[in-house]
Amino acid sequence: MKNAVAFVEHKNGAARRSSIEALCAARAAADALGGTVHAVVAGPQAAAVAAALKAYPVDRIHVLDDAALATAGVDPQVDALESVARAAGPSLLVVANTMIGRDVGSRVAARLAAGVNADVTGITVQDGRVVCLSPKLGGTTITSCAFKNSDYGVAAIRPNVFPVDARAGAGELVTLAPSGKTYAVTVEDEVEEAAAELGVEEASVVVSGGRGMGGPEPFTGMLHDLAEAFGGAVGASRAAVDAGWISHGHQVGQTGKTISPQLYVAVGISGAIQHKVGMRTAATIVAINKDAGVPIADFADLLVVGDAFAIVPELTKLVREAKAVHA
Amino acid sequence: MKIVVTVKLVPDTNADKRIDPATKRLVRSGVDIVLNPFDEYAIEAALQLRDKLADGSTVTIFSMTPENGREVVRKALAMGADDAVILSDPGLAGSDLWATAYAIAHAIRAGGFDLVLTGTQSTDAISGDLPGMLAENLGISALTYARELDITGGRLRVKRETETGYQTVSAPLPALASVTKSANEPRYPSLKGIMGAKKKAIATLALADLGLTEAVGSDGSRTEVLELATPPARERGRTVTAADGPEGARAVVEFLKSRQLL
Repeated sequence: MKNAVAFVEHKNGAARRSSIEALCAARAAADALGGTVHAVVAGPQAAAVAAALKAYPVDRIHVLDDAALATAGVDPQVDALESVARAAGPSLLVVANTMIGRDVGSRVAARLAAGVNADVTGITVQDGRVVCLSPKLGGTTITSCAFKNSDYGVAAIRPNVFPVDARAGAGELVTLAPSGKTYAVTVEDEVEEAAAELGVEEASVVVSGGRGMGGPEPFTGMLHDLAEAFGGAVGASRAAVDAGWISHGHQVGQTGKTISPQLYVAVGISGAIQHKVGMRTAATIVAINKDAGVPIADFADLLVVGDAFAIVPELTKLVREAKAVHA
Repeated sequence: MKIVVTVKLVPDTNADKRIDPATKRLVRSGVDIVLNPFDEYAIEAALQLRDKLADGSTVTIFSMTPENGREVVRKALAMGADDAVILSDPGLAGSDLWATAYAIAHAIRAGGFDLVLTGTQSTDAISGDLPGMLAENLGISALTYARELDITGGRLRVKRETETGYQTVSAPLPALASVTKSANEPRYPSLKGIMGAKKKAIATLALADLGLTEAVGSDGSRTEVLELATPPARERGRTVTAADGPEGARAVVEFLKSRQLL
């Protein structure tokens, strides 16, 4: 492996932040390998996305801008990443560990008969081999895992972990030829249920509610307001999801998502092991609970014991004020 | 139509899981092994599709597992699946994602299929990468994160969850779909189901039955665990008791400012 190829996921003409992180992780890996960094952008408005990518340290940006691809799902993106990887030769492919990133990364890996390291939080090069660090078993073990038996390897990086490097690279634009294929998959429609919200996997601040919320209202009310004040997302414990108070996409924990935000605010969440494994790698954890004896007390950086229904709205006010001062 | 549901057997989610430092593999002995909870949604979705089609369609459970997983697979039969196949061979030990997807694809292709359903991830590995790799190995479309599934006119149509909503996505059969937790409420096996499952067939395949051209197991894998490390445990932080809302809010804000988070 010598080069690195980053897959860039985008929406409405803008790259996702986790894809910029993937690109920067690819840069660091390619520098250690002495190779070149490629970025792959395919789909509607890809040209606009590619132009913006020039602000980041990428050597070549491969672009397939075609409005018709909007209805073909991720298949054209899989084709594009595969073709760029084959042209680049032995390389590390970096995708963000998001729903689309996993789909594209896993499928290209299968086509290239390559391994996948999932949920990667660190990439190093040892004796010319790429080694990925991944938390396993709910973050209790970190594995160092190398690629072998293939010219390629795919690293699916955890969002919010790799730093963004805002140094412009050569940024040479390369136009990819359309495959001319008729794709089997058809996207018939797309419905935005929470368009303004970031997913919990990518948000740098996550405000989560648990059993202590007592019903669905806080998730669209006070927790939503606090998350919005931070510019973050609303999460939930399994108890809240199982009770039907919020959809599964928001669930953090063993049977939900594993996340590493800069700040995790757990409201009315006891912090049982199945929740802990999904958020223990947050940089900072603040818990608000009426009970001082909850398990989360053992690993939160701050536990405020009190009435969440009184504290959260006040906190939202103070956060808005603090943000307004900085703005 | 033949619906194949792939299931993984995992350590009980409440069990204390650990990795053997010598083999660098998950310790599976001395822990209860259960059906991966995520796979139960795929099984339920398959049963509902079969019953809705009511055209003689069948549901086959497939699992790559050591022989001791046979009785766990029977739980899926007790839920109502028609039969099961396990792929069991010491030569598969240590298979990574690539080798697993490659071997499973060959085994599924050998038995024939029209639709393959999977869970979205397992509770032990949590990569979420197997569905896509399996679909590619089978050369079929992958409709992932399905929360509703329907088959009409030879096409599979799903509501695919996205981070912000959903898409309606369709593809001609044969195809693969991964089924999310929001798709359904998996049924508990009935007493009749449990009794009936005892008579259902669980066929066994070994590597020699698959005609693989590439090596699998540790040797054939595309990844290799070099080291295991234990990250530092999170320490217990401060506890502040707040008499009222403003006091609690101030405590949080002061703390966030001290960490430059606000």
